[in-house]
Amino acid sequence: MMAEWCKPVGRVKGVLLDISGVLYDSGEGGGVPIPGSTEAVKRIKEANLKVRFCTNETQATRETFVAKLQSLGFDIALGEVFAPAPAACQILKERGLRPHLLVHDGLLPEFNQVDQSNPNCVVLGDAAGNFSYKNLNEAFRVLIGLEKPVLLSLGRGRYYKETDGMKLDVGVYMKALEYACDIEAEVVGKPAKRFFLSALSDMDLEPDQVIMIGDDIVNDIGGAQQCGMKAVQVRTGKYRPCDEQHPTVKADGYVHNLAQAVKILLEHLH
Amino acid sequence: MAFTLYSLLQAALLCVNAVAVLHEERFLNKIGWGTDQSVGGFGEEPGIKSQLVNLIRSVRMVMRLPLIEMATRRALKAVLIDLSGTLHIEDTAISGAQEALQKLRSAPVAVKFVTNTTKECKQTLFERLQKLDFDIQEDEIFTSLTAARNLVEQMQVRPLLLVDDSALKDFEGINRSDPNAVVVGLAPQHFNYNTMNKAFRLISDGAPLIAIHKARYYKKLDGLSLGPGPFITGLEYATDVKATVVGKPEKPFFLEALQSIGCQPEEAVMIGDDARDDVGGAQNAGMLGILVKTGKYQPGDGDKTSPPPYLICNAFPQAVDHILQLLL
Repeated sequence: MMAEWCKPVGRVKGVLLDISGVLYDSGEGGGVPIPGSTEAVKRIKEANLKVRFCTNETQATRETFVAKLQSLGFDIALGEVFAPAPAACQILKERGLRPHLLVHDGLLPEFNQVDQSNPNCVVLGDAAGNFSYKNLNEAFRVLIGLEKPVLLSLGRGRYYKETDGMKLDVGVYMKALEYACDIEAEVVGKPAKRFFLSALSDMDLEPDQVIMIGDDIVNDIGGAQQCGMKAVQVRTGKYRPCDEQHPTVKADGYVHNLAQAVKILLEHLH
Repeated sequence: MAFTLYSLLQAALLCVNAVAVLHEERFLNKIGWGTDQSVGGFGEEPGIKSQLVNLIRSVRMVMRLPLIEMATRRALKAVLIDLSGTLHIEDTAISGAQEALQKLRSAPVAVKFVTNTTKECKQTLFERLQKLDFDIQEDEIFTSLTAARNLVEQMQVRPLLLVDDSALKDFEGINRSDPNAVVVGLAPQHFNYNTMNKAFRLISDGAPLIAIHKARYYKKLDGLSLGPGPFITGLEYATDVKATVVGKPEKPFFLEALQSIGCQPEEAVMIGDDARDDVGGAQNAGMLGILVKTGKYQPGDGDKTSPPPYLICNAFPQAVDHILQLLL
């Protein structure tokens, strides 16, 4: 099978993988691995390609999240995972920001070292059930009371797939607060360039040496391409057929799942 | 002051007006610029002075009638009044509002109460205002809920109603089983994650999204609170579907309200506390807009509409005084 995105042969030295929708589908009981994905990750590592995982998961700390994936059979290490919360903590520290948090309870420990008194900004994560009117109103009141309102959104996804159906993602509530306060949020995590580049720099590779594999046409594929990487969309997770006719983003390749992407990639490396 | 296209147009209009009112005998002739005085030989190239005199003459001839038309103030026939934030805040009336309304009633204008309040049905609104001693009739109230119901019937859909329980009365008789449409009003108890997901999935499957209005927030006694606007915007983003908004500031809402009293927008003025939804929407429909500094008004709101409000005043009583003194 012809795959332009693997060329030039020998140039590709690393792979950046999305997690939800590529490795597994989240949901009740921790989630379910996507068929072939555990094998695929092993094969990438055996082929001596560098791997990092770029996720916008914000329902749990990195430690908890990685432990869960390991228990599902994935060969994945804490240091290989790039998530928005640690990146956000870094930004908060750099800019002297004290956040009002509207995040999933499971994410709170990531912010244990952060001063949350007298908040001068709001950090929004994938709060799921915590996206109640009361909580959103509280966040809104913090923002509207600030002279310079700052809204940090951990990602801007529209929805994701869980085992019991599609669910609204953080981007929806980011837009809600943007509209309410007439402000623009800053996105931490995909598709922000800074986020991808930090993973690349950790691998010590140039963008054209890395392939991104994801299920979100805008945040995974579009975001990666804007950094100069080639990006391939899998037809699992939140993928919808209309993604292949997206008005602004055209993936460098469309594959059935991670297993097929890895199969094609490895075939071209030899 | 912002230098907008509108102010450019206003400046141009003033200049044209200035030329049009120049007096032929008392001024133009005296300075030798009268139309009879320009020397224009047949076949010769017209001189600069000649061209200018002709220009002045043309402007005066052609522009006179349109300028008279525009300058003539049409008589005010109707006053539209917002409720929450303008006449009252929850169960407290704005100080002096009842008397002001009485004064307005003595003038030869029709009065209509237009509201995006979706937490209550018409009857509840009416009873509250009566309890606060406002002189008002139930059929003078036109709500966005009414407008929404009209649209649902027109589209012949079965709505998932994300509206307050007390507003359900205005949807009596509408089939709501197996919904194929989503109607969103101000319903904090429905803006929870599960119900939002339900609405999201319906809209993704093709259900139309009807927004009773898209207010960003409203004023409660304990502070500002999120309106339905943010949640509707979120759903629009999630589904890539644009909501059909039936309430303020949409033009059809104001036109429907005025239609029921038989007035044209140019003969009406709107009084409200929301710069964008009340004043902006009304002026966009062709009415004059008066912004009151009560309710959800925040300093700086006057700069949020283009053109700016016809008038900004402290509260409803001052707005009424202005209307009675200067617009009638």
